[in-house]
Amino acid sequence: MNILADVWYQVIRHWRTQIRMKVWIFVNLFQPILWLVLFTQIFKSLSNLPEMGGSSYLQFFAPGVVVMTVLFGSAWAGMGMLYDIDMGILSKMLATPVSRISIVSSRVLASMTLLLLQGTIIFILALIMGVDIQTGAPGVIFALFIVSLLGLGFAAFSNGLALLYQRPEPLMGTINFLTMPMMFMSSTMMKPELLPDWLDTARHFNPVDYAVVGVRDLVLEGYVWSDLWKSLAVLGAWAIVGLIFGTMMFRLRAE
Amino acid sequence: MAIIETERLTKIFPGGVTAVDGIDLEVREGEIFGFLGPNGAGKTTTIKMLNTLLRPTSGKAIVAGFDVVKNPADVRRSIGYVAQDVGVDEHATGRENLTLYGHFYRLDSKTIKERVKNLFALVDLEGVEDKMVSTYSGGMRKRLDIAMGLIHEPKIIFLDEPTVGLDPQTRTHIWDYVRRLAKSMGITIFLTTHYMDEADKLADRLAIIDRGKIMALGTPDDLKRSVGGDVVTLSPCNTGPAECAAFLERTRAVLSGLSFVKGVQTADGEVSVFVESGEAAAPGIMRALGGAGIEIQRLSVSRPTLDDVFLKYTGRTIRAQEGSATTFAQMARKRNRRPS
Repeated sequence: MNILADVWYQVIRHWRTQIRMKVWIFVNLFQPILWLVLFTQIFKSLSNLPEMGGSSYLQFFAPGVVVMTVLFGSAWAGMGMLYDIDMGILSKMLATPVSRISIVSSRVLASMTLLLLQGTIIFILALIMGVDIQTGAPGVIFALFIVSLLGLGFAAFSNGLALLYQRPEPLMGTINFLTMPMMFMSSTMMKPELLPDWLDTARHFNPVDYAVVGVRDLVLEGYVWSDLWKSLAVLGAWAIVGLIFGTMMFRLRAE
Repeated sequence: MAIIETERLTKIFPGGVTAVDGIDLEVREGEIFGFLGPNGAGKTTTIKMLNTLLRPTSGKAIVAGFDVVKNPADVRRSIGYVAQDVGVDEHATGRENLTLYGHFYRLDSKTIKERVKNLFALVDLEGVEDKMVSTYSGGMRKRLDIAMGLIHEPKIIFLDEPTVGLDPQTRTHIWDYVRRLAKSMGITIFLTTHYMDEADKLADRLAIIDRGKIMALGTPDDLKRSVGGDVVTLSPCNTGPAECAAFLERTRAVLSGLSFVKGVQTADGEVSVFVESGEAAAPGIMRALGGAGIEIQRLSVSRPTLDDVFLKYTGRTIRAQEGSATTFAQMARKRNRRPS
């Protein structure tokens, strides 16, 4: 119970910090909207290709925007941890009886709430723009669950890296180095049929792709359980590995 | 009664640096215990072992009745820790910072509210509770930082270099708060400092630490008395460093032989002679040096300070060790702070 209380009070702290950054809120809410509008314009002519099966690129890409938003948002979650390390807040906290697990997990949870809010906004916007969601509201909740597993893993990894490096430059470098290729080496922006063979193979080792496939199924096809089970299993494992890494780095650096 | 007890407490960092070298300590309940030493002497490492942030390599430490290795959680509940770096969240208000710590110690909301009010009064931050900490001055942040270490009414509070980087007026204020704490709350205070005046003014008892070892222990007055009645300081040389070193050595040799001299130390191009009475000893010192053909530029007599104590027990001055390296380290640590 103490752990839950510790998590709760720290999540409130992180929410409060986020809400006070007006510019940050604005940017985070408008970026996915920009992607949705801009990218579907850029790649509009792709829907003329026979491989697209006649559906519009917006219809195809909307699930990808949800995944991208969560991917980029959660990958940066460790930056806040750096502030706590640098200001001496972390070491001061460690001299209190506060539960150790709550320090990383409250940060991960606080970033997740924002990402889920963003995800919901994208879905609503996609609906307004004419995207037809096959599985309806329950499917949207299912999709948000899938992306939250992806985000959980990334946020935990990001916090772990922050603890490992203890400074912003290598953290920023690593995040840029990983997130961009991970997005492109998946079917986020391109149908698998349109990818070169080697990329079509590589995407099967990429958690981002499992999130995209799962969410896209729910939006375009319905409950394709053969895909959905795989997504849940891989992303569940991804989240667990991330949390183990984050906790290990915490032990290594903070104890 | 001892509230902190250590037995051969040792910390050797990976790479083989011995930061703390077999320290035996006894801190009594309710006292202000000072830990005086230059930067890098092992003060912070000792504090971090006592507050469970670092695991001792060997030896034992009992804090508030609990072993720091076996019962770290009990130790954490009994202590408050105010680190050298101010560990407050700038992007929150003073009240939010303090309240969060109340929750960390599992106090109920009503108790927290009450104590927050009292603590803001204690550290003179009434009226700015709900302002963002980013608008606080350096001294206000430090006071909030100290209040955060007190929210659970600990038995012991560790203050690591509480006035580093603060202006003289703010330092005097912080000293007042520390004294007030000890008096009004009956808290045992374990304080580290490399400032002589701070140790002298605040500490009931004092340990002098250098290179990980305790060199002397006692009340500031006892320690000063142990040096002798007076210190006669001679500045015998104004030549190059090589001749100077030889000169200092000869002076020391001559003066060590005198019956009324209790001790001689040389450092920073000066010779400190510890004697019973400076006025009575000065002519004898002049005569002896004159006889040996040593010319003195300047002679002064003073009551011993803790600096002399430090010199006597370590053979070095604490001033000489305030090198540029530590100043840069402190600047680096402050690099992200706004000016206070």
